[in-house]
Amino acid sequence: MSNTPATAAASSSKSKAAGTSQPQEKRKTLFQKELQHMMYGFGDEQNPLPETVALVEDIVVEYVTDLTHKAQEIGSKRGRLLVDDFLYLIRKDLPKLNRCRELLAMQEELKQARKAFDVDEKELVD
Amino acid sequence: MKHSKDPFEAAIEEEQEESPPESPVGGGGGEGGGDGSEEGRTEIDQTQEEDERPVDVRRPAKKSKTSVAVAEARNKDDDEEEEEENMEVELTKYPTSADPAKMAKMQTILSQFTEDQMSRYESFRRSALQRPQMKKLLIGVTGSQKIGMPMIIVVCGIAKMFVGELVETARVVMAERKESGPIRPCHIRESYRRLKLEGKVPKRSVPRLFR
Repeated sequence: MSNTPATAAASSSKSKAAGTSQPQEKRKTLFQKELQHMMYGFGDEQNPLPETVALVEDIVVEYVTDLTHKAQEIGSKRGRLLVDDFLYLIRKDLPKLNRCRELLAMQEELKQARKAFDVDEKELVD
Repeated sequence: MKHSKDPFEAAIEEEQEESPPESPVGGGGGEGGGDGSEEGRTEIDQTQEEDERPVDVRRPAKKSKTSVAVAEARNKDDDEEEEEENMEVELTKYPTSADPAKMAKMQTILSQFTEDQMSRYESFRRSALQRPQMKKLLIGVTGSQKIGMPMIIVVCGIAKMFVGELVETARVVMAERKESGPIRPCHIRESYRRLKLEGKVPKRSVPRLFR
């Protein structure tokens, strides 16, 4: 009987220490909202199931992580991690490769357009 | 909602007949990019059409939600939309980067879209993984403090296309199992397994230990 308060205290302190794992830890979602719109765009329902979105997010994070690790391995041979390492990894996948080239070309165009815009503004001020 | 002759599918057939000689080649650059990505898109939309017919009954019930969701997407993505519109205008000035014949074909197809198709296409075009989040993830994975903007953009693009492959393969799996409705995790898992067999998922040389 005298043991029970001690053991109760010990068990309560133990449960407090482990208390953070008892209520379910909330998974930190990175891309949840955008993924819902994206999955709808690619063929899912207007409101995809939350467990499906969570699973897709996990798969995407794992995919990006593995891809980046491989790119780093390739980049380490030449020194830094470059965009070309990613392009090398997806070289076999033509739709992705062409899409990436398109994205990079558009970014270049936008950069040029913004630079021209800034230059024009400066000229106006002068 | 009457698809008597299915003008959409007729336009697709026309496009597909002419596309094989212009199949995407690396040297084609921008035009190849236009071909590759647009062919992918038209295929996606075709499968959606077939899916939407049996599911048509549920669409009216969800229409109120769709308008709210699309409005939200519009408000959030207004900047992106403006960017896209400006980019499209610029692309017409440079015919080398966008084939005017292709664009005319896209215009004819888009003009014949139903509301559902249009909203789905809108979601497809405008959705994107957020760049700050991706930057956080990349910094965490590489361990370096600086990640260049082009790299973030490229990785976001690759990841979006990967999601597309996952969802499309999941729909194929559902069609094989003759199921309908929202995609469930079991379909995604089967789709992921198939993509692994095709070699589209990078394999880890060291097995993943602590998740």
